[in-house]
Amino acid sequence: MKRQGLFAASCWLLVLSGGALACALPPSVVLTLPVGHYIMGAASAVGVTALLGAMAGRLPSFSAHLLWDRRRLLPTALTSYLSFLGLIALISIGFLGDRDPMHNMLTLVIWTVIWVIVPLGSVMFGNLWRAINPWTGPVRIARLLIRRRSRLGLATWGHWPAVVGFFGFSWFGMVSVAPDDPAVLAQATLIYWVVIFVLAVLEGDTWLEQGEFLTVYFSYLAKIAPFWLVLSHKRARLMAGWPGTQVRDMNTLTPSAMAFISLTLAALTFDGLSESFWWLAMLGVNPLEFPGRTAVLGANTLGLLAVWAATAAAIMTALWAEAWLQKDAATGAVWQSASPVLLSFLAIAAGYHAAHYLVSLLTNGQFLLAALNDPFFQGDSILGLPPIYVSFGFLADFGMMTLIWNLQFVLILGAHVLAVVLALQLTPTPPATLAPPAGRHRRLIAYLPMTMLMVGYTVLGLWLLSTPRGA
Amino acid sequence: MTAKLGSAFPNRRSVLGGMAAGSGLLAAAGAFPGFVQAQSSAPIKLGFQLHRTGIGASYGRWYQRTTQAALKLLNETGGINGRPVEVVFEDDGTDPARGAEVVGKLATQHGCDAIFGPLFSHVVIGSAPRAGELKIPYLVCSEGYHVASGMLNRWTLQPGITDVKAQVRAMAPWVTANLGKKVTMIFPDYAFGHDHRDFFTQAVKEQGGEVIAHLAIPPTETSFTRYMPQIPAETEVLYHVMVGPAVLTFVKELGEFYGNGPRPEIFGFIDSLEAVNLASPGLEFLEGTHFWEGHCRNQQPDASVDETFYRAAVGVDATGASLADARDISTYSHMFSTWETLFVIKAGMEAAGYQGPKDRQSFVEAIEAMTTLPASRAHPQGDKIFNGKTHQVFGHQSISKVTGGQLMRVYQTSIAQGQYPDAVDYTQQSF
Repeated sequence: MKRQGLFAASCWLLVLSGGALACALPPSVVLTLPVGHYIMGAASAVGVTALLGAMAGRLPSFSAHLLWDRRRLLPTALTSYLSFLGLIALISIGFLGDRDPMHNMLTLVIWTVIWVIVPLGSVMFGNLWRAINPWTGPVRIARLLIRRRSRLGLATWGHWPAVVGFFGFSWFGMVSVAPDDPAVLAQATLIYWVVIFVLAVLEGDTWLEQGEFLTVYFSYLAKIAPFWLVLSHKRARLMAGWPGTQVRDMNTLTPSAMAFISLTLAALTFDGLSESFWWLAMLGVNPLEFPGRTAVLGANTLGLLAVWAATAAAIMTALWAEAWLQKDAATGAVWQSASPVLLSFLAIAAGYHAAHYLVSLLTNGQFLLAALNDPFFQGDSILGLPPIYVSFGFLADFGMMTLIWNLQFVLILGAHVLAVVLALQLTPTPPATLAPPAGRHRRLIAYLPMTMLMVGYTVLGLWLLSTPRGA
Repeated sequence: MTAKLGSAFPNRRSVLGGMAAGSGLLAAAGAFPGFVQAQSSAPIKLGFQLHRTGIGASYGRWYQRTTQAALKLLNETGGINGRPVEVVFEDDGTDPARGAEVVGKLATQHGCDAIFGPLFSHVVIGSAPRAGELKIPYLVCSEGYHVASGMLNRWTLQPGITDVKAQVRAMAPWVTANLGKKVTMIFPDYAFGHDHRDFFTQAVKEQGGEVIAHLAIPPTETSFTRYMPQIPAETEVLYHVMVGPAVLTFVKELGEFYGNGPRPEIFGFIDSLEAVNLASPGLEFLEGTHFWEGHCRNQQPDASVDETFYRAAVGVDATGASLADARDISTYSHMFSTWETLFVIKAGMEAAGYQGPKDRQSFVEAIEAMTTLPASRAHPQGDKIFNGKTHQVFGHQSISKVTGGQLMRVYQTSIAQGQYPDAVDYTQQSF
C-alpha cells in the first residue's frame, strides 16, 4: 500500500494551476509562510478602502485616453476564419496525435492558451478573443452562402445559452474524468463548435456575444483591461485608462448576464475548493490517497451547483440587506442595484482568474513552448530555442514560491480593492431627500453588507490559494 | 520535475505520432537504423500506464523520462528479439477506475503486447483485475505488498522494485542496532501509514526492540505541534513517514519542538521528501538524520559504472537534480523501477521467444522462471532476486544520513534481509 499516499497531497499547489492539467507537486512551501497575516492584511485593506471610499463620497475619476487611431489592418472575419482552420487542425491532432496530453497540441492549446493565456492577455490588453473567435468568420460565410439574413429569435434567451455553456465547460474541466485526454477533448471541442456554429448560422454572428460562453467571458474580462481596442467599420482606436474604466460605461446587466457572472465566480471558487483538504474531508475522502475523479464525480457535480447557488445567494443577501438598510427595499432596488455590484465583481473574476492560473501558466506553459518549438517532436527548433527541458523545480524553491505567492496576493488584493471602488462608483446616487447628516449616515450603514461580502471574498480567494490540496 | 521534449528521443516520437500522425509510419522506416535486418518485423508495442495527471503526476513525469531513456538504450542495443520497441504512454489520471479503462485501451485499441509502469497502489489494485480479464501481462512499479500478498492475479508482476514490506524488514536490524531500540512511530493514519506501523513494529520486535508509541496523524492535519509532546521522553528513535503538502511544516515544527536541545535519533522514509532538495531552507533540522532510500539520490563514492551510466542517461546530476535545472530534484529513489522493468520485459520476451500476443502466457512464465538478476546496465540499482511464486522482486536497500544537505549512504542491506515467507504461489493459479 506504500504508494497510496506518496506525494498525494503534494499536489496541493495545483491550486494555483487549478486547471485540468493538474499534477502532483512537492510539499508546500506556501504552507510554511505566514499566510494568515497576509489574509488579515488584505481583508483589512479591502474593508478600509470601502469605508474611506464611502465616507469620502468622491473617488478617483476613471477616464479613457486615446493612444492611437488608425485603419483596421485585418478584418475580424479573416482572422476568425484562420483561427477556425487552426482549430480544425488541432481537433485532428486531438484525434490522431500523441496520446500523452502534455505532448498533444490540442490539450495544450485548449487548457493553456485558451483558458489561461487568452484570459490573462485579455485582462491586460483587451478582448483578444474577438480576433481569434473561430465562429465569426465561418458563420458569416455560411450565412452568405445560404443567403440567410433572418434570425431565429435566440436573442430573447439573453445570456442563458452562455450560462449553460459555461456550466458545461466548468463541469467538463473540473469534474469530468478525463478532460485532458486528447481524444475526449477533441470530441467535446468538435461537438461544441458544431452546436454553436449551427445556432449562430441560424441567428447571426452577433448572437455569439451573448450566447457563446467564451465570447461572453473574455469580453467581460477584457472590461478590466487598462488597454483596449475600440473597433468601428474601418477604424481601430487604442484606448487606455485605469483598470475598470470600461466597466463604468457598461449597460445595465440583464438577469441572465448576472447569472453568468455569478457562475464564473462560483466556478473559479469551486476549481480551488474541490481540491482542498477541507472539501475532500467533507466528502469523506482522504486527500492523501485521493481516489481519482471517478470517485467524486457525483459529489463534485452537486458541489459545483451548490457553490453557484451559495455565491448567488451571498450576493443577493448582501444586496437585500443593503436595500433594507437604505429603507427602500420595497421599491425593487435589490434588482436595480444588483447590476452595478455584479459589474464590479468582474474585477474579482479577472484578478482571481489571473492568480489562480498563474502557476499553470508557468508549468504547462513550458510544455506548450516546447511543443511550439518542436511541433513534430523531431528535434526541430522552429522558434530558435535550444531543446527545452520542462522543469517544475521552482515549485519547491522557497524564494520562487514566496515571490509567486506575493504576486498572487497582489492580484487578489488589487482585484478586490478595484471591485470596491467600482461598486462605489457604479452605485446610484442616493436620493436627494436623504440629506446629510441623516442620509449620509444611513448610506454609510448601507455599504456594510456589500463591504462584508467583498472582505469575505478576499479572504476566500487567498485561502483557496494557500490551503493544502489533495486532488 | 523535468520531462525532456525534443531532440533526445526524436525517433521514438516520430513513431508515436505526435503531430506527425500521418507521417509517423514514414518516419519509422528511418527511425531504427539498428534494425535493418529486422525490417520485416513489426515493432514490439508496450503500453505505459502513466500518472500524467492527478496526484501521481509528480512521479509520472520522472517515470516517463526514465522510461524514455531506457527505451532509447534498448533500441540502440537491438531492441527485443531484434525487433524495435515502441512505448505508448496513456494517462490514467492516477484514478483507479480510469486506470482499468487505460489497461483496456492499451490492450485492445493500441494492441500492446504488455503493459507496465503504474505506481500508485490504489490504481494498481483497481487496474490489475482488468489486465487479468484481458490476459495481458501487467508489470507494476508500485512497491505495494498487494502483489506478493496474493491479492492480485497471475498476469500481474512486480519485477522492478522491492515492496514496502521487504524494505521495512530489511532496515529494522540496522536501525535497532545503531540508532536505538525504543522507537516512536509518527505516521499518517491510513493504509499507507498502517503498513509502516504493522511491518516495522513487527520487525523491531523480532530484533529485540520495541515500538513504545504509535502517533497516528489524521491525513487532513496541517499542523503537528500538538502531537509533539506525545513523543515519549525515553524515545531513542523517531520513525516518521509523513507525506503530503504539510511535510515541510512537519519538519519545521519538529525542529522548533526540539530546538537546540537533545533529540532522539530520527529515521524517515525518503517518500516524505522525494523530489525535494534537502538543502532547502527550513529543512536544516534534518541534518544528521537518517532516511531509507530505494536508490541513492546523491551519487555515492562507490557508485558502479552502471549506476553512473543510468544517471547520465536519464539526465540527472550527482545530487539527483535534473541536468537542466539544479532545483528540479528527481524521484530518484523510485524511478529506476521503470528502467529495470523494461529490461525485465526484454529478458522475458527473449527467453519466451515472444512473437505476438499468443505468446503472452509464455512470457509470464518466462519471468516467473527468473531468479537472479545481476547488477548491470539493465539493473543499475543493483542485483536482485525474483520470486516467481509471489511475482515480487527483492533487492538491496540503502540507509543514508543527511550530511551537509546531501544523502550519504551509511549502510546497504543484503537482499536476504528483506525476504519473507511466501504468502502466495501464483504459478499454481490458472491463466
